[in-house]
Amino acid sequence: MIKSKVLIIDDEIEFASTLCQRLKLRGVAAIDVHSGTEGLISLVKMNPGIVILDLKMPDMSGLDVLEKIKEHDSSIEVIMLTGHGSAGSGVEAQEKGAFDYIMKPVDLVELVDKMKVADEKRSKA
Amino acid sequence: MKRQAGWLTKILPFPSDELGNVEVLDNGYKSFTKGLCIILTVLVLVPLIIISVLSHNQYQQLLEEEELDQMVLNLEVAQSSIEAFIGELTSVVQFVGSSDRPEKLLSSKELHSVLSRLQKVYPGVVDIQLVDSSGMQKSYAGPYELRKHNYSDQIWYKDVLEKGVAISNVFSGFRNIPHFVIAVGRDGAIAKENCVLRVTVDANTLQDFIDKIAAGYADDMFLVDSNRISQTKPLKYGKLGGHCVLHDSQDLVGDGIKLIESNRIVVYERMYKGDAINHGVAELKDTPWKLVLIKEQYLHANSWVLFKIRLMTIFLSCAIVALFVIVEISYALTAHIRESDEKRQKLYSEAEHTDKLASIGRLAAGVAHEINNPLAIINQKAGLVQDFMEFSGDFDNKDMMAKAVDGIQSSVERCKTITHRLLGFARQTDVVSEKINVNATLRDVVGFLEKEATYNQIKIDFNLCPDTTDIFSSRGPLQQVFLNIINNAIDAIGHGGTIMLSSRQINEDRIQITIVDDGPGMPPEVMNHIFEPFFTTKETGKGTGLGLSITYGLVKKLGGSIKVKSKLGKGTVFRIALPVQYKEPAV
Repeated sequence: MIKSKVLIIDDEIEFASTLCQRLKLRGVAAIDVHSGTEGLISLVKMNPGIVILDLKMPDMSGLDVLEKIKEHDSSIEVIMLTGHGSAGSGVEAQEKGAFDYIMKPVDLVELVDKMKVADEKRSKA
Repeated sequence: MKRQAGWLTKILPFPSDELGNVEVLDNGYKSFTKGLCIILTVLVLVPLIIISVLSHNQYQQLLEEEELDQMVLNLEVAQSSIEAFIGELTSVVQFVGSSDRPEKLLSSKELHSVLSRLQKVYPGVVDIQLVDSSGMQKSYAGPYELRKHNYSDQIWYKDVLEKGVAISNVFSGFRNIPHFVIAVGRDGAIAKENCVLRVTVDANTLQDFIDKIAAGYADDMFLVDSNRISQTKPLKYGKLGGHCVLHDSQDLVGDGIKLIESNRIVVYERMYKGDAINHGVAELKDTPWKLVLIKEQYLHANSWVLFKIRLMTIFLSCAIVALFVIVEISYALTAHIRESDEKRQKLYSEAEHTDKLASIGRLAAGVAHEINNPLAIINQKAGLVQDFMEFSGDFDNKDMMAKAVDGIQSSVERCKTITHRLLGFARQTDVVSEKINVNATLRDVVGFLEKEATYNQIKIDFNLCPDTTDIFSSRGPLQQVFLNIINNAIDAIGHGGTIMLSSRQINEDRIQITIVDDGPGMPPEVMNHIFEPFFTTKETGKGTGLGLSITYGLVKKLGGSIKVKSKLGKGTVFRIALPVQYKEPAV
């Protein structure tokens, strides 16, 4: 069971809301926002343990948002979503502090597994 | 760059202006070869001709001058010899006339004694006589019975009375043999008694002397009098006592060159009976004669013809050799140009192909990215439906709905594969260099496909050279290259067949991997497009048409090259050459 709150930041509203809904069905406390700026605001309000963050967004890039998140609270684990399928971008994000990355279209089982590991890491810390 | 069409371009057209059209290109190269031949021939032959003509003319002029100089020299020598001979004879006669008293010479005995002394030195002296002022013969010593002849009307007698010394022309006279006369006045006392001493000289004396000095350097030499009557016997140009056939102002060659070396020598160039001759005339001092010397011109003789033949032979030899070399050079140059044109064309085609692939890659990446987002939504929505079905109880047609959603998910999965491959094609996977044994890599890849091959009854054979060196390359892309090609071979064969994998060392820098299948092969129109993205011959839904284009890009990225040969009904051969040492390909 994932204990941490999960924040989903993705400009694709349909994707983010559906993913949020599916996570909620699995008992995860998830919330979705649709821009980088909104995500940073929600960060303060919600205080999530895990952030699922899209790499490409119109207002801010995923990597910029990642940096701000880490500045705000380095214990927050961030899982990057990338439509690029680019291992390079994922690796770059990991170098900047992301916990892991997952390619779109997302395999929910895989995502939940990664979230579980991130949650365990947080609870151990 | 546009070239200016000048006169040179007209003669020497650029062969590579029409790179696409084989027939026009062939004609272009032929025209270029022809033009080059013509220009080089002109460049070589014109100076050769000019030099030959100049040499010919210069040599001819030199020979002419030399011949004329020689002619004048010969004339001068002959002139001085004859003058000396006649002068000596005249001096002797003058001496005889001056040293004795007239009374003494009147004595026949005394005169015979003088004659015999003279004949000892000059055998040609025939007789001697004393003539008085009225022209009457006073005494005579000689072989003829001449008595009391009157010479008053003779020209020589008139001359001697006037000048003191006279030499006559050659004539027969009373003696009936050709002879000439040397007459001197005694002590210069004109019109006195017994004043003229007359010596008759046989004309043969003159003839022998002329023959002697003519030998060797003249074709003909003879004496003529003031009326051009021959005094000695000409060999070719007239007869003794007849007119000389050569006239002073006729038959002159060209502009009638008349060369006067001194006041006493004139040389003419003439044509006589088809022969070119030099005709020299020298005046003989104190005689009534002129010396005529004739030489055939060397320039028109056989030796000059031989010289011209030799010159022509040398010229023609040089021309033939030059032409041969020119033709060879022209063909060789054209071949070089053609080869470099073809290389340029090939490079251009390759660059064009690479550019096309890069453009398609960028387009593919864009499309894949755009499709990926809605695909992710579809995936999540379908997942959500599945979630709802899972968490809700049974309802009508639940199974059918579950199948339908599964269908959506598997289609999404298929699309995902396509978009990921598209993105992979654009990205061409990062290259990380490591030491790789190609033979082992080939076996690893075959390991992935073994089951599928066995299922299709396809035998995979190896002919791997154990001595191939390990290469420094990127394992992932390399595996993908082999996987794509072997996978294609399996698809192409279908059921029952053989795939042969072989490796060999081309040289110390490159190795080659060959993948041969005995499938149905490809027609040329298919083979020309197999490396293009989205080109596939597989049935719809089975292939993305990206496998070989990705393979092509990867091989290039690894610094290698890939070639394919195929024959319909026989099979297909892929040859991949890889560098032993990976180098970042030039962009």
